[in-house]
Amino acid sequence: MLIDRFLRGRGEDAFRALYRAHTPALYALAMHLTGGDQSEAEDLVQESWVRALTALRTFRAQSALRSWLCGVLVNVRRGRMRTDWRIVDAPDVEPIVETNSAEDAIDLERAIGTLPEGARDVYVLHDVHGYTHREIAELLGIVEGTSKSQLNRARFLLRSALP
Amino acid sequence: MTNLPREMQPDSALEERVVSTLVAAGLVRRRRMWPAWVAAAAAVIVLAVGVTMFRPKQMLVQGKTYVVLLYEDSTYRPAPAGHDAERVAVLSRWADSLATVGEFERAGRLVGPGPLGGLFIVRAADAAGAARIAASCPFRRWGGHIEVKRFDP
Repeated sequence: MLIDRFLRGRGEDAFRALYRAHTPALYALAMHLTGGDQSEAEDLVQESWVRALTALRTFRAQSALRSWLCGVLVNVRRGRMRTDWRIVDAPDVEPIVETNSAEDAIDLERAIGTLPEGARDVYVLHDVHGYTHREIAELLGIVEGTSKSQLNRARFLLRSALP
Repeated sequence: MTNLPREMQPDSALEERVVSTLVAAGLVRRRRMWPAWVAAAAAVIVLAVGVTMFRPKQMLVQGKTYVVLLYEDSTYRPAPAGHDAERVAVLSRWADSLATVGEFERAGRLVGPGPLGGLFIVRAADAAGAARIAASCPFRRWGGHIEVKRFDP
């Protein structure tokens, strides 16, 4: 595995292989979390790799490396922003319908960028990257109920924002 | 699920930026591509230093033998390309200073995977003396960490 190869000597070539395997997913996540801010997304990816390699000893092989890296990125992002983790009582809200055109995708991405941080993190992880509430709870250090309520809140706000 | 992309390619310059940052932080080792003559010269230097470092024991102090282990872990800052020999020379001078007071037995570099980069076998009256020797090792300037263990030959 790439991670084992890297851990054997922490060499540059081994790291580059690791970087190329996982950065496209990290960068997509960063772009979604920043509402499409390329410069902010690049900074997030860079800081996440620094944090990840510093904390690599805490990574447990039984969890997927990519999920763990995405969790690092989300937490780097949260560390930079004032987080908003109020639990809201919102009715269950259906997922946003699939985007059919490039314009729809841009509208959705912009709207995601306007969400409160807590709701945005959960929305992007759940509805864009396919994480379960249990996985999100573990990644973000919250309980599953909070993840569910933040997702409902995000969907509700997006429905109001989208045409 | 929305169908926004789950993977996106960032600008290729980001990879170089990330690698440079990680190398500077000591988290990744820079790839070295030395010309053959540099490698040959380095081998001669290492051999010359090795002769000094692997000298037989002489007039050792009374006490016990300890092994001082040098770990090049994630905090270790490798020498800039082409400067490895300088570090070996610094360590060799330190070994010389120990040898003059009968505290040095042997030393060597460990080759292969893993963070353990080298070791010194030293003589000291007790564990506190061995710790004092380890604390004076110039390896500490470059990060990493040092372990001292009693060595029972």
